[in-house]
Amino acid sequence: MIRPDAPLLLDIRDLHASVDEQPILKGVNLAIRAGEIHAVMGRNGSGKSTLSKVLAGHPAYTVTAGSVHYRGADLLELDPEQRARIGLFLGFQYPVEIPGVSNLEFLRVATNSRRAERGDEELDTFAFEDLVHERLKVVQMDPAFLERSVNEGFSGGEKKRNEILQMALLEPLVAILDETDSGLDIDALRIVADGVNQLAGPDNATLLITHYQRLLDLITPDYVHVMAAGRILRTGGKELALELERTGYDWVDQELARLEPETVEVA
Amino acid sequence: MSTATVGDLVSQPYKHGFVTDIETEKIAKGLSEDVVRLISSKKDEPDFLLQFRLRAYRQWLQMAAPDWAALGYPPIDYQNIIYYAAPKQQEKKASLDEVDPKLLETFDKLGIPLSEQKRLSNVAVDAVFDSVSIATTYKEKLAEHGVIFCSISEAVKEHPELIEAYLGTVVPSNDNYFSALNSAVFSDGSFVFIPKGVECPMELSTYFRINSADTGQFERTLIVAEEGASVSYLEGCTAPMFDTNQLHAAVVELVVLDDASIKYSTVQNWYAGDENGVGGIYNFVTKRGQCRGARSRISWTQVETGSAITWKYPSCVLQGADSVGEFYSVALTNNHQQADTGTKMIHVGPRTRSTIVSKGISAGHSSNSYRGLVQIGPKAVGAKNYSQCDSMLIGDQAAANTYPYIRSQQPDAVVEHEASTCRISVDQLFYLQSRGIGFEEAVSMMVSGFCRDVFNQLPMEFAAEADKLLALKLEGSVG
Amino acid sequence: MPAVALPATGAWLAALAGSPLPGRRHEDWRFTDLAPLQSVAAEPWNGPDPFALAALPAGITRLEPAEAQQLRNQVLQATGSSGAWPVQLNQGASPRCLALRVSGAAGPLQLSIDAGAAPGLLALQLLLILEDGASLELLQHHSSSAANATSLLTVAQLGRGARLHLGVLAPGDSRASLLSHLAISQAPASALQLTTAVGGWALSRLEPRICQVAGAAHTRLRALQLVDGQDLADTHSHVCFEGPDGELDQLHKVVADGAGRSVFNGAVQVPRKAQQTNAAQLSRTLLLSDRARVDTKPELEIVADDVKCAHGATVSRLQQSELFYLQSRGIGADQASKLLLRGYCDEVLRELPVAAAALNPLPLLLRERP
Repeated sequence: MIRPDAPLLLDIRDLHASVDEQPILKGVNLAIRAGEIHAVMGRNGSGKSTLSKVLAGHPAYTVTAGSVHYRGADLLELDPEQRARIGLFLGFQYPVEIPGVSNLEFLRVATNSRRAERGDEELDTFAFEDLVHERLKVVQMDPAFLERSVNEGFSGGEKKRNEILQMALLEPLVAILDETDSGLDIDALRIVADGVNQLAGPDNATLLITHYQRLLDLITPDYVHVMAAGRILRTGGKELALELERTGYDWVDQELARLEPETVEVA
Repeated sequence: MSTATVGDLVSQPYKHGFVTDIETEKIAKGLSEDVVRLISSKKDEPDFLLQFRLRAYRQWLQMAAPDWAALGYPPIDYQNIIYYAAPKQQEKKASLDEVDPKLLETFDKLGIPLSEQKRLSNVAVDAVFDSVSIATTYKEKLAEHGVIFCSISEAVKEHPELIEAYLGTVVPSNDNYFSALNSAVFSDGSFVFIPKGVECPMELSTYFRINSADTGQFERTLIVAEEGASVSYLEGCTAPMFDTNQLHAAVVELVVLDDASIKYSTVQNWYAGDENGVGGIYNFVTKRGQCRGARSRISWTQVETGSAITWKYPSCVLQGADSVGEFYSVALTNNHQQADTGTKMIHVGPRTRSTIVSKGISAGHSSNSYRGLVQIGPKAVGAKNYSQCDSMLIGDQAAANTYPYIRSQQPDAVVEHEASTCRISVDQLFYLQSRGIGFEEAVSMMVSGFCRDVFNQLPMEFAAEADKLLALKLEGSVG
Repeated sequence: MPAVALPATGAWLAALAGSPLPGRRHEDWRFTDLAPLQSVAAEPWNGPDPFALAALPAGITRLEPAEAQQLRNQVLQATGSSGAWPVQLNQGASPRCLALRVSGAAGPLQLSIDAGAAPGLLALQLLLILEDGASLELLQHHSSSAANATSLLTVAQLGRGARLHLGVLAPGDSRASLLSHLAISQAPASALQLTTAVGGWALSRLEPRICQVAGAAHTRLRALQLVDGQDLADTHSHVCFEGPDGELDQLHKVVADGAGRSVFNGAVQVPRKAQQTNAAQLSRTLLLSDRARVDTKPELEIVADDVKCAHGATVSRLQQSELFYLQSRGIGADQASKLLLRGYCDEVLRELPVAAAALNPLPLLLRERP
């Protein structure tokens, strides 16, 4: 839902970032307002996953230039946990397993950290169980997963559902979903997409990072951005994704070659 | 961005490092036959015990300190240690009101209130200060059930027949160098006797406090559970911070008869020395239980966080048919601490079963070794053992060693051992942080998650305690 | 028949080694009684040189004595082998020496080391340099048919990218002893596969000591050790990573029957410089008789935080569920046990060099001789 007067949630300007001194992001500009759903598409290595990690504050990535403002405040000077508490959420492409740490306990501590930031009272074990059982429905997840260790032994689909469950509990204002569709069969994909659609509303925004059209068949984006060589090459509506599906990414190389011929590697 | 590393977090101030200023009666430094006789006479012991001590002393003279553990420390000068130190008071007080308030205050400060008003409602406590027991709570209430819980010195006077029948029968005085030393000079410790068919109505606990700088602590604990009896026992230990090392060489013996069970838990937080490895307790402990009866059970749970050196292998001799031995251990070492700890499960009887779960966490420049033996004797038909040893490494200067011995002479027995190493990965930390969980809490969650299988075995009251203790060890400044 | 210790032999061996025979007080020899070794005649073995090869395959040339000397010193130092008693004995026993350089992909090589019926101590050294990128498949086939002893020191240096597939197939004799020390250094990107299958000796002691001198190499160890009668079989393996990114995959299997004794000690050292090491060790023992004894002791020493090290050990008899499955298909209990035993052993035997298959190793190792 595009409303030009909606509050600006995330404002990325000329963002440059590197990992191991290797520049990956080379000037990303992106503005996201409340109510909007954005999709960032691009080939492997285009920098789209790096963008999500930089926004969430992964320690391996260094911002070398540019700025990111979240609801007007400088996001980049915050610790990862602080970003999460104020409503930024990253759904991981590969959620890690944390043996020994109970999923339920983890979800409760995380939820309460976010609630404390918003000034809500802390939920005790019982109140939290009620909440989590209600939110489990969003992703049609078996309560048995609460008793296990965080992501340990979960299948790919179960891990992704656990991510969306966390999103449902943390109620973020900006949710970045990094390749949430990867490794999912069609049923799991539908459940995850349903969850995302249920959680999307006029006051929050979603940034989908994906390779393929098939997720966008289920979640309709307001904007589609094509990323290549660490920047956004083109922005359009949902029809841009369909065009990509039809024509592939070959035009991207030509476009890049036109922009900076010396840096393009010929495949 | 936080720049603290996990390693930074593992440094913490020691909270029990204060010294109680109290007048103490000490004997002169050094060890000789005369010193052994002096200790025995100070405690007004019967002759059999003096003979027991003298025999042990003579055995000790013939023995050499063990050198097989992965531990390094300068030779101990046994003539430079005081073998008996006691706060000055005429004799053990009948009532707590007569105990020196300074002592009560000391235990209060350690979180072990002894006075009638403040004491824990469901835990009986024996408090040992340097070489003597100063108070035991709930003795009368326990006596109503026929349970004897008192200091070993008292037991020698009041139940000499039990002491004579059981002392030294599980750990013979010549078992090893330190057990011989302990048998010669032990000063105090706890005695527990649970008569036939009695389930001990409350948790029993002994709290050991070393206060003097130049004193060794040589406590002796003996727990006997007769047929069908059961008890859960916990010990805790702390000491002040001195820049010298104090020797602690304890012996613990457990005896369980048919259908009886003892659950023995330890939370060990002796002073570990400073960040450069100066000072701290040398902890050389022999703990062994004998499942003498059929279907008897011994369960050791230990949380070892302190001491400069830990040398300790709580063991089970599974003689009775269908008897069960368990060992659950968390050992955390940091700075220059060294721990060589594990267990021995000696399967003698048929269908005996044992479980070993060991979690070692090594940080700083420390060294943490698991050393275990699972031995299946020729008569242990149908015996089963399962062992799991996991190590968590924090920083690249810490050592984690695993030495799991298996000896088997019985084809109809199954022994299984698994071990792994892990660390707290940057990605795991980032995942937790990206859900709003702070760095310190994330580390602490992962460490207690790693130890969960062991904490689950602790009595409820102490599980939270142990969790807190680890959290304390992990507390630090996030830069 | 129990071995009778001849004091004269003990003294002779000690003199050769320049060091007294290790005894039970020595941690590395706690469970390993050297009595069978002392029952051999105190004299050098005087049969024909087992290393007298007719011709060397293409890609293999002989080393000059000076080169051989240098190689031996370098590798023994890298692997920390010099202090091992079997190495000292071998060095002192004027071993016959075969020293080879392998370049490129050399043809397979098989060395038959048959101590035969001759008495005394047969001492041999095999020295190998695998140049960068070279590869070799080598089978050592030991045997004996009398109360004699074989001492073999194998020294190998694997250059960058070199591949060595070394097999030791050693069916023994119930009067004979085998002491085999394998000191192997591996440069980065090299691959070592060492497969050993030993059975039927009064005393066998295998000591593979492998050092990845700068890490980043691959080491695959497969071992099968069978004891029956009064046999004693002992393997002390030692793998050390002196640099990052090394890999170890070790499987040690034991079958203990009769009144046999099996000892396995598997040390793995991962020092601080060996980050990203991935090491796995599994020890599996089948205990088939209530007179047999096994001692298993993995030793993992790790001083690096970013590593994956796993080890496991099991001791049991044949899986009753598997036996039952076969029996429920009409196979008799005896035959079912044999089938399962064969499967258990084959997991290691099939990883011997190709040439071993023709020797039909399992019956040899089980002493099921025609």
